[in-house]
Amino acid sequence: MTTATARSGHAWSTRLPALVVYVFRACMPRKRLAVLALPSLVIVLTGMLSQTVTDVEASESFARIADGMVFGLALPLGALVIGDAVLGAEVRSGTLAFSWLTPTRFWELAFARWLGGWTIALVTLVPAAALAALIAGVGDHVGPIALAAAAGTAAHVALFVFIGCVARRAAVWSLAVVLLGERLLGAALTGIAQLSPTWEARAVYVSLADVPDDLARDGIPDGWDAVIRLAIITVVLLAGTAWGLRHLELTGNRD
Amino acid sequence: MMNRSGPGNEVPHQSTIDPAFVDDATVVVDDVSVWFGQKVALSDLSCSFGAGVTGLLGPNGAGKTTLMRAVCGLIATRQGTVEVLGVDPRRDRDVHARIAMVPEEDAVPGSLSARELVSYQARLCGVADRSAVDHALATVDLVDVADRALGGFSKGMRQRGKIAAALVSDPSVLVLDEPLNGADPVQRVSLIDLFHRLGDDGRTVIVSSHVLHEVERLATRVVVVVRGRLAAAGDRRAIRDAMADVPRRVLVRSDGDRLLAAGLMILAAVVSVSVQPDSTIGGSSGVTVSTTNAGELALALPSTARSLGVRLREVVPLDDSLEAMFAELTR
Repeated sequence: MTTATARSGHAWSTRLPALVVYVFRACMPRKRLAVLALPSLVIVLTGMLSQTVTDVEASESFARIADGMVFGLALPLGALVIGDAVLGAEVRSGTLAFSWLTPTRFWELAFARWLGGWTIALVTLVPAAALAALIAGVGDHVGPIALAAAAGTAAHVALFVFIGCVARRAAVWSLAVVLLGERLLGAALTGIAQLSPTWEARAVYVSLADVPDDLARDGIPDGWDAVIRLAIITVVLLAGTAWGLRHLELTGNRD
Repeated sequence: MMNRSGPGNEVPHQSTIDPAFVDDATVVVDDVSVWFGQKVALSDLSCSFGAGVTGLLGPNGAGKTTLMRAVCGLIATRQGTVEVLGVDPRRDRDVHARIAMVPEEDAVPGSLSARELVSYQARLCGVADRSAVDHALATVDLVDVADRALGGFSKGMRQRGKIAAALVSDPSVLVLDEPLNGADPVQRVSLIDLFHRLGDDGRTVIVSSHVLHEVERLATRVVVVVRGRLAAAGDRRAIRDAMADVPRRVLVRSDGDRLLAAGLMILAAVVSVSVQPDSTIGGSSGVTVSTTNAGELALALPSTARSLGVRLREVVPLDDSLEAMFAELTR
């Protein structure tokens, strides 16, 4: 190119929109969206499933089913699909180089990938959770479950974005963290549960909605405290992602 | 003029002495080693790059891509330093507005259009000129298909899309890893012309390729990497001439091949002589002469033939191409 190209100030405010739009346009191809539709569908089906339980109140049946199906399975797996897509998949395919080889600061890249991913969760998984509550006939659960899903997916997407830049087989590690770390160890150890987006999101819902007492878990923050805990987890994971991006080695596939 | 890397190369910035280095270098690679686990990808490699097109040659696994990625900061060096435009590209993010790389990998964000990818790069690099995107696309002849998804492009078109994305920020240093992969012959010519123009404009253009005859057409300077080490650097012909210890082969056709072969055997510059048989009984199709001093052979050959009463018909150098040189270096 012979024409000189003027460069504008490298303000993050000009880069951030481009980075987030890239997430929507490039990181979520149709196949990913189709895969993401599955956990969203499972969440909606939870509402239908709870209607089939007639021997307890609707709120209790929905809460018990949502506990396992929504918070224990669909939300983490949906967030995994998103979180892996926005960074881990790009590292594996080599397309992250298009973003890495620019003056973009690593914190901007980490934040934008998370923000884009969380936004996708907010328009897919969170409405599905709210819809499930409506279908189940427990309108007063819509707010708590939407808030819990939003806060939980924020932390989960951050977790999977972090894993995407520090682990080579990010999808496998992410699945291991959900199934072994959160489901298995988190169920047994309160210390793990306190750091688990799954358990903290569940605690938000259980404490803010009208659910049976036995669903509440002692020893971990609940209600708005859990929301704050999830926000802190998210920030720490994003800082870790920025650190990971700085030390990331994009070696490519061939020499 | 040839440089072979090794412990003796301890002064890297001796551009007027060592052909591995250039004056006014924009990219300086100083004693760099990179390894992945047990595999050493680069070993004590030192060289520099300046304005113009430099060809980076080496067989598969030689370390070319690792070197290019280290130059761009995509991988960290385990030992030694890389400086691009005076700074470490791993630490200084701002320098990436002035460096661009076209990776060898065919990976592109398939759901983006070529225009979206180039625009994305432009915005991240802070390019204010809105016409820069169209200009970059036009430079690689992608304007007509700029709004089509990259996933539907041929490999050559994707490659051109990546080149457009690299050019949009008007980089001072352009690193192109096998950029002609997938391009058809017409596009190859066009891209080679483009790289020449970029080099002539004063940009540092580093191009790797396995298509050696294209590098011969492309590069004003060649850096050869073999097994992670600098094997040679400098002008292609200078490198070949400096390989004094590597025998060069010449095919000589005459009307008395066997007689000429016997006469050439006594010359000091001749290492070996073999008569090439042909299909006729007792016939030959020439004499292959291996020599460590092509100049001396060129002087001695006519007089030897004349003294033997043999008429020379043709003298053909057999290994003056980069391919042959490459084979010698990797032997």
